[in-house]
Amino acid sequence: MKTGTIETPRQLAAVRSSARKALLNGHPRIFVGTATCGLATGAQKVLDALHEEAGKASSMRISISETGCNGACFLEPLVDVVLPGQARITYGHVQPEDASGLIEAACAGTVYKKRIIGRIDKEEFLVEGTSKSYRRGKLTGDVKEVPRYAALPFFRDQVHLAMRNCGIIDPTSLDEYIAKGGYAAAAKALTEMTPDQVVDEITRSGLRGRGGGGFPTGRKWATCRKAPGEPKYVICNADEGDPGAYMDRSVIEGDPHSVIEGMIIGSYAVGAHTGYIYVRQEYPLAVKRLRFALKQAEEAGFLGENILGSGHSFTVRINRGAGAFVCGESTALMASLEGRVGEPRAKYIHTVEHGLWNKPSCLNNVETWNNVPVVIARGADWYASIGTQGSKGTKVFSLVGKANRVGLVEVPMGITLRQVVEDIGGGVPEGESLKAVQTGGPSGGCIPAELFDTPVDYESLTALGSMMGSGGMIVMDSRTCMVDVARYFLSFLKEESCGKCVPCREGTSRMLQILTRICEGKGRPGDVELLHDLAQGMTDGSLCALGGSAANPVLSTLKYFAEEYRAHIEERKCPAKVCRALITYSINPEVCTGCMLCLRACPVKAITGERKKPHIIDKLACTKCGLCADTCRSNAIEVA
Amino acid sequence: MNAPAHEGKAVEFMLDGLQVEGRAGETVLSVARRHGIPIPTLCHHEAVSPSGACRLCVVEVFWGKRSKIVTSCIYTPYENDRVETNNDRVRSVRRFVLELLAARCPSAHQIRELALEYGVDAPRYETDDNGKSETIRDPLRERCILCGLCVRVCDEVVGQHAIAFAGRGMERRVTSPFAEQAEECIGCAACVFICPTGALHFEDVDGRRVMKELHTTVLLVACRDCGLPYATEKQIEKVKSRLKLSDEAAALCPSCRVRAFGGRVEQILAKDRKATFPWEQGASFTLTSPEAAFRR
Repeated sequence: MKTGTIETPRQLAAVRSSARKALLNGHPRIFVGTATCGLATGAQKVLDALHEEAGKASSMRISISETGCNGACFLEPLVDVVLPGQARITYGHVQPEDASGLIEAACAGTVYKKRIIGRIDKEEFLVEGTSKSYRRGKLTGDVKEVPRYAALPFFRDQVHLAMRNCGIIDPTSLDEYIAKGGYAAAAKALTEMTPDQVVDEITRSGLRGRGGGGFPTGRKWATCRKAPGEPKYVICNADEGDPGAYMDRSVIEGDPHSVIEGMIIGSYAVGAHTGYIYVRQEYPLAVKRLRFALKQAEEAGFLGENILGSGHSFTVRINRGAGAFVCGESTALMASLEGRVGEPRAKYIHTVEHGLWNKPSCLNNVETWNNVPVVIARGADWYASIGTQGSKGTKVFSLVGKANRVGLVEVPMGITLRQVVEDIGGGVPEGESLKAVQTGGPSGGCIPAELFDTPVDYESLTALGSMMGSGGMIVMDSRTCMVDVARYFLSFLKEESCGKCVPCREGTSRMLQILTRICEGKGRPGDVELLHDLAQGMTDGSLCALGGSAANPVLSTLKYFAEEYRAHIEERKCPAKVCRALITYSINPEVCTGCMLCLRACPVKAITGERKKPHIIDKLACTKCGLCADTCRSNAIEVA
Repeated sequence: MNAPAHEGKAVEFMLDGLQVEGRAGETVLSVARRHGIPIPTLCHHEAVSPSGACRLCVVEVFWGKRSKIVTSCIYTPYENDRVETNNDRVRSVRRFVLELLAARCPSAHQIRELALEYGVDAPRYETDDNGKSETIRDPLRERCILCGLCVRVCDEVVGQHAIAFAGRGMERRVTSPFAEQAEECIGCAACVFICPTGALHFEDVDGRRVMKELHTTVLLVACRDCGLPYATEKQIEKVKSRLKLSDEAAALCPSCRVRAFGGRVEQILAKDRKATFPWEQGASFTLTSPEAAFRR
């Protein structure tokens, strides 16, 4: 079905109700998660195989479409099958050879017995606060036995607001977005509310910027609305660059219209008619999905002149970032948008007053824009009922690193780190112990396991010397060296510093120099003090937040893992046995069976020995790559 | 909060315990200099727009119990701000910046002297990473603090935009496009004169001006009367078109020009030009020899 131009809220309602029927009734529908995480694990092959099998089994109409990522990246490739009248079944780790079985089962209205993850009983309409059961009559025995998806440990504590449609709808289908209640909030804001009421609603909801700063969104909008100067601009910051963080990418890939709808509402509230989405070039799929969604929204009349008969006009353009991390900083982003070099400027005069082309500009992050329709549709009071006193709503985190279950998790603010890392993430592999979690990306810090009962909100994380940031959460276990972690983040920041101001350019470089020598066993007495001095100077003296927060990874590890620094500098030892210069590999002759596996694996031929006799590592030749330890079946390789 | 100076209003604020007035749009640095309060700067110059890159001009602003370090070359005060220009926190940021710069540019004596003023005898950082070895040491890299004055003066004052920053972070450097002959460069050497650390040079040899660090060579023109080279070809073209200088006058060096035409500006301008300068509405200007201009 193709949606024509939608000129009034009434027409929108009509499209919604017909599109919604298609969601719940009709033929079996199969969704393959083809967000970047899915594609990386082979979802395209699964999709192709499903199409092929469906073509063979032409007895019944089956629709196969793509969808985004529901967050369970550790289960990719994911396939959802909607069995009409029964439920939506999720399968994980699906391989192309499962395709025929999946199609067969779908045609028969039953469950494919392998790869089952869980069962979703209802189609949720989050922006309306309603849901509709798939069920018509009794569930068949097989379907009934599938565990409920929402009860699985990974999903139990999650609340999907921002990710409401991710992994559920086809991101290329405007109809499905509308069916889920999409653009209803825009219709409500533009035709039933004044701009001031919209700003007020956002302010009362307590929504704060999800890009890292946590600035109250309502206050930003109010200032921009009042700022003199025409034209005004709204900007979506999709230049997500933190290592290990991919919330924004996933939201755009899975639900691009939600971001556009948020921007429409924002443009109406602040009085802007032009919007820009600044998205990284390194996110080709996100750019593609956005382009497609913008075209759909223009054709349907959600963008352009006189949107939904409200008289408000708004257009959105996409600009692609060229790969500079600093362009996620608002003033650098705007400089880049203007075609200048992406370097920040001092923000004593705020961008909401003098931003893009010196005009009032309202810049928000992808996730913030995506939350706006929910706030408007459900109301500020409902939104503010989720979360803590100072941090409302939910936050999407990309839970990565050494956790057992990695992926995107969306949790209400105020949940403890322990719940996120241990309950949702499933802790770390057996035999290892949880050591720390790094939040907030390169500007954030490492929080030790002792403090895991800290609630996740803006203030609590900042108080620990870390920050909410855009939502990266890297889990570290006993195999992680904290000095090495600090060194890694500083090497990232040194590469990404634009070089304009002295503290950041020279400071990150000097910090890296010192951390590198500590990791190499060349640390000197006084290095820790020097790091502290550098940190203070960079925090006080830097021009923008990149340099101002660059010391956080170092400061937080110095604070919570001082002993590791001391061991590196004074004893020339790496307690986590990571820093190559400080470890040696040897073979325990008591345990070695003389199988010759390590001898063959060693790339520099540093291991000698005869069959069934203990082998020996030549410590001078050894490059400490660790391949021997990985190949040894009897744990005879010792690292000290 | 009352309106800040950047909104076109004059403000009253405290500067080192002194009640002072900031004019509309005026920065803390400017107010401080009017009142004889010294604030060190490296990347600031009245002739070009502020950059805020060197961070040497930092001061601390207090609002009630809260305070923040700001760059005085950019920050326009708000009514009732309390600004301190030389307290411990401010001095420690300056010391930090100077220690880093002294480590970066061991050959720049200007930096070394300033650093010494702030108590930095020898930087605590290794300085040997500037160049891999003596033979490939880059003289520009040894002195350039990346303040960007050269880039801004070329762009904003000369209007040529012949040079710019290239690279990011520690790779950042001042250079001509693709590190080749800068076609836009007129060889005026404004960049050389404005450089606070003497990182840029020019040399006039064999009728050419060589700007070594900027990979550019420009032809010099000899004075018709005295025969001495006095400006570059492109420079004369530029000045001629900007000032509407007559061909006659342009062919002479400044000293010979004064001798030939006397001290009246009008006499050296092209006859058919339109009156565009303020002095042409009655005011009178006198030509001076370059030596006198420099003294002034």
